[in-house]
Amino acid sequence: MFDDQETVAAVLRSTPPPDVPGDFLARVNARIDATAGWLGLADFRTWTLRLAPAAAALALAGLLWPAPSVSTTPVPSVTATPATVFSPSSSSDWQQDVTGDAMLDAALTPADRGRAR
Amino acid sequence: MEKEGLSATVDPDGELVTAAAAGSRDAFDELVRRHQSAMLTLARVLTGGRGDADDLAQEAFVRAWRNLPAFRGDSTFRTWLHRVAINVVRTSQAKEGRLRRLFDAGGRSDEPFDPPDTGEPIETALARRQAIDRALASLPYELRLPVTLRDLQGLEYKEIAALLKVPIGTVESRIFRARQRLRPLLASLVERHV
Repeated sequence: MFDDQETVAAVLRSTPPPDVPGDFLARVNARIDATAGWLGLADFRTWTLRLAPAAAALALAGLLWPAPSVSTTPVPSVTATPATVFSPSSSSDWQQDVTGDAMLDAALTPADRGRAR
Repeated sequence: MEKEGLSATVDPDGELVTAAAAGSRDAFDELVRRHQSAMLTLARVLTGGRGDADDLAQEAFVRAWRNLPAFRGDSTFRTWLHRVAINVVRTSQAKEGRLRRLFDAGGRSDEPFDPPDTGEPIETALARRQAIDRALASLPYELRLPVTLRDLQGLEYKEIAALLKVPIGTVESRIFRARQRLRPLLASLVERHV
């Protein structure tokens, strides 16, 4: 039985090698080149690497760029009607008795000024 | 720790693999030349001698090139390439099976195509190869693959076990059973060989 095993193994080992087509390598290379085009575009690693300088430049610009300074120019003041001061942060303001003028005023007043009042 | 029990093995393709992984097409070309015959044999046996073996062997090399940077050297390149090729064939067969189920109401079996007998005398290389292909094609996949990897491709038992992710004892028993089944099918070749 074990002789049979060895004999079969020997027969299989003696299988003639396949005829490799002459253009096998060329066809493999052609397929690699064909897939490299669209696959390269879809490869996130390539994009990550290519975009690294741009990301670094943006980060640097973010660090070095001067922060916008608070303007010293006086902002023309909006005359508010003292009786109807409206601040959207207060829930009591969202009641029916707020006048249209007060709402318009609140909308036109910068947020920080509104809070200051 | 030894990975897959193979780290002590020096990979004869090591230098070429390193160069190819770094982008050298010349190095990869040499790897293709070294392994093209083995990959064609494997694809031919796994597909049961169908015409697309050539195409699948090429696809295995394309996938290998694409995934080479991820190859960690846990096994030899040859073993890894076999794994890539087996996956390529398996994927292709699964795709084909789905298509067949969709379009063929008769539901043909997934058994491999039996290569035709050309009627050439058994002495010729082509006839010998076809006789062996036919015999192998008659085996179920789980016997055909290990015996092919061992006796046609020359892989070690431990390499096959790692590749198929089964214990080495399972590999030995499958190869034993495969050879038992092949013995009568290869009778004409065995008699000449003895």
